[in-house]
Amino acid sequence: MALRLTVQVQLVLQALLRDPAGEMYGLELSEETGLQPGTAYPILLRLEHEGWVASRWEDIDPRAEKRPARRYYHLTAGGAVQASAALSGARRPKGAALRRLAEGGGTA
Amino acid sequence: MMPDIDREGRRKKRAPVIASILLVTAVMAALLQSFQPDWAWVSLAIGIVAITAVGVSIDPPRSHKRGSRRRGSDLTGHGRAEDDGPAGLAAHRWRTLARVSRLMPGPAGRRWLAEADSLLSDIEPARRTAAIRSYLLSAPRLAVMMWAHQLHRRARLGPRRPG
Repeated sequence: MALRLTVQVQLVLQALLRDPAGEMYGLELSEETGLQPGTAYPILLRLEHEGWVASRWEDIDPRAEKRPARRYYHLTAGGAVQASAALSGARRPKGAALRRLAEGGGTA
Repeated sequence: MMPDIDREGRRKKRAPVIASILLVTAVMAALLQSFQPDWAWVSLAIGIVAITAVGVSIDPPRSHKRGSRRRGSDLTGHGRAEDDGPAGLAAHRWRTLARVSRLMPGPAGRRWLAEADSLLSDIEPARRTAAIRSYLLSAPRLAVMMWAHQLHRRARLGPRRPG
């Protein structure tokens, strides 16, 4: 299944590519992209199915931390290359489209 | 938090129904006592069962474990006290999330719910309702996507052999 490079997908990839070696959890990604968490999750899952992104549960004791573990996402080595190539070839999202997304919280 | 107001409202709604049942039961018991003395207990039994049923249906007993099948917080845990909007609404939406997660393939649904739980406990209370709404809105399409992926994977791996 080919990955459709929608504006939302581009935003998620751009956020992950800012630090290709780093990891981000759902809320960070949602804040970085301006997308609602419910919109970002299917994108991350699709990227994971395609092998561009990998994820892991944070290794903490939820009782000690008094919060549930977070799921961290990072680009795979191949994913980083593919994402860069795809983004450079993709049409850049227009400013107006990005503003609409930010105002509407990115609900697709 | 609104539970006290809710409870008071339910009590007010329940009182006239129970009073009517008591009245009907008393009349039935009196009539049966006159015509069929051996059967007077039947009306009392029916009255007790009816009152219990009305009481439970209007004010169901609370169960803390209901719908929860995982560790960590849900809206009855972390962040619940400073929740935005009426507490009942947020809890209701959370229960809906849990129900919706069952439409997804087992492990994928559990992961989705656990991630939603984790994110909702981190998010500012003012944004929580919108976040839950976004999860609910994207859930049907996500469920279809997950099942399609599951079927695709199974087809690729081929049929399972016994043993």
